[in-house]
Amino acid sequence: MTTAIEARGLRKVYRSGLKGRAVIALNGIDLHVEPGEVFGLLGPNGAGKTTTVKILLGLTHATSGEASIFGIPVGDPASRRRVGYLPEGHRFPGYLTARETLRIFGRMSGVEKTDLSRRIPALLERVRLSQWSDVRVKKFSKGMTQRLGLAAALVHEPDVLLLDEPTDGVDPVGRREIRDLLAEEAGKGRAILVNSHLLSEVERICGRVAVLREGSVAAQGRIEDLTAATSRYKLVASGVDDALLSDLRGTGASIDRVNGHFDLTARDLEHLNALVDRLRARGAQLQELTPVRSSLEDVFVGLVTPQSREPRA
Amino acid sequence: MRAWAASIEEVFREAAARWTLIAYFALSSLFILIFALAVNLDVVNGALAGARLFGQSVNLPDRSIDIDRLVLGFESGFSGFLYLVGTFLALFATAHLVPRLQEKGTIDLYLSRPVGRIPLLLSRYSGGMLLATANLAYLIGSIWIIILWKTRVVHWRFLFGGVTILFTIAVLLAFAFLVGVATSSTGVSLMSTYAVFFLAAILAAHQKISAAMSSEWAAKLVDGLYWVFPKTAELGRATVSAVAGNRVLHGAAPANLFAVYGSTALFGLAALTLACWLFSRKDF
Repeated sequence: MTTAIEARGLRKVYRSGLKGRAVIALNGIDLHVEPGEVFGLLGPNGAGKTTTVKILLGLTHATSGEASIFGIPVGDPASRRRVGYLPEGHRFPGYLTARETLRIFGRMSGVEKTDLSRRIPALLERVRLSQWSDVRVKKFSKGMTQRLGLAAALVHEPDVLLLDEPTDGVDPVGRREIRDLLAEEAGKGRAILVNSHLLSEVERICGRVAVLREGSVAAQGRIEDLTAATSRYKLVASGVDDALLSDLRGTGASIDRVNGHFDLTARDLEHLNALVDRLRARGAQLQELTPVRSSLEDVFVGLVTPQSREPRA
Repeated sequence: MRAWAASIEEVFREAAARWTLIAYFALSSLFILIFALAVNLDVVNGALAGARLFGQSVNLPDRSIDIDRLVLGFESGFSGFLYLVGTFLALFATAHLVPRLQEKGTIDLYLSRPVGRIPLLLSRYSGGMLLATANLAYLIGSIWIIILWKTRVVHWRFLFGGVTILFTIAVLLAFAFLVGVATSSTGVSLMSTYAVFFLAAILAAHQKISAAMSSEWAAKLVDGLYWVFPKTAELGRATVSAVAGNRVLHGAAPANLFAVYGSTALFGLAALTLACWLFSRKDF
């Protein structure tokens, strides 16, 4: 199966000012998104998320490196035949109605009139804009414009969706609908790349993510892997006194009382088992031992704060 | 082709929404209406026997006025007026096409479609030219019909006078597109194109200007600029001459005629090529 989105060694250097001062926006990005996958692109402002998406769409030219959509280089307009894009802060012509917007942008994507007359009402229904189909876009609220943007991204039935802040300005009900819609699209085998600041949204939608930091990939992988606990556990046990805690700390473990349970950090699995043996040998009753997963936000903050510089697999 | 047609349709929709198309046609219609209602001519045996303007009788000289010559005089004068006003209005109505396209949040929507950048720009250019052509055809065609109705005089040349006007619009619009791509500003694009129009008209007197120059390099610069810029003054005269049925350019040898049209076309072609090149290389 051909990879839907592939980027290898993407680098973008902007020149600014009269002296042409170099600003490195991307410094060798490698990405791949497979069909049916929902992939999240995360990072603080200026990390290179939007530049990456713009290069994938041919809106910005890479200084070096390669990118392709289903094997077609992104410089070839044919690559965009299979891409639907929802830009952040998009501005559809306000004088067009929702129906006209979809018709004009559908035709620009090469869709035949007969197909459009079938697809447009269905799409408008799907994004809950049927009642507004003949209202000019300039009268639309932010959330409605965003839903129209999503419909415009889908009008030519693309195989790849690139979405920049898809839930921006959308109310909680609308967000859930967009999440459901994206899950449905991914279920049809479409590859979806979501660029978002809303980590909780990304955590719900995406299977894999890449965290960008200063133009480089700081971490990339499945959310479960990135947030997997390797050393932290929640321990609930009775009969643990201060002497036992000191004993456990003496082995190199970190253990603290937190809201009726213990927050335990072991070096590795062997160390953890040794700690359990010690607890039990000293008469403590073990009730619960659960690995503590980090939230995506924990991982994100850990990765993008200045002190964290080691890349994660 | 579908994408090209959609882009052109969007140009017309945008012009209508911005009221430029409506104002353009409304002003033209007003002029046509005034002309149709205000001018009344009595033609007897091919000569003007009486005339009324806004209901008032016009004193005519005792000698008979050949209606054919009168119409010709009006048509050639009107084509000169149209050359200036038509060109300015057309540029005013279309100069925003590129800057608006390049606006943040808009350009992404267009470039993310499977349309090459150069076809996208050229489709906007075609849309702008179609808009100008439609209005010019409406204005010239209507005036021609009214003249025919009032005088029974048919001058096909009047209809073809619009060709030179369109040629001038095409060249200047190409320059407006180039400035639009480079600056993303409708104002700058419009002002610089009007400046080119007037500067080029002044440069028509390049021989006199260069003769008045104190240094040889300055004289050469003026002559050089004359050949680089479009020949707006000559083209205006060509429009009037073509309608009047004279030689296209008074006293111009065929080689000069080619030089006027050729160098102007070259300016337009260079501007459009440069605009395409710049647009295809730009990062958005």
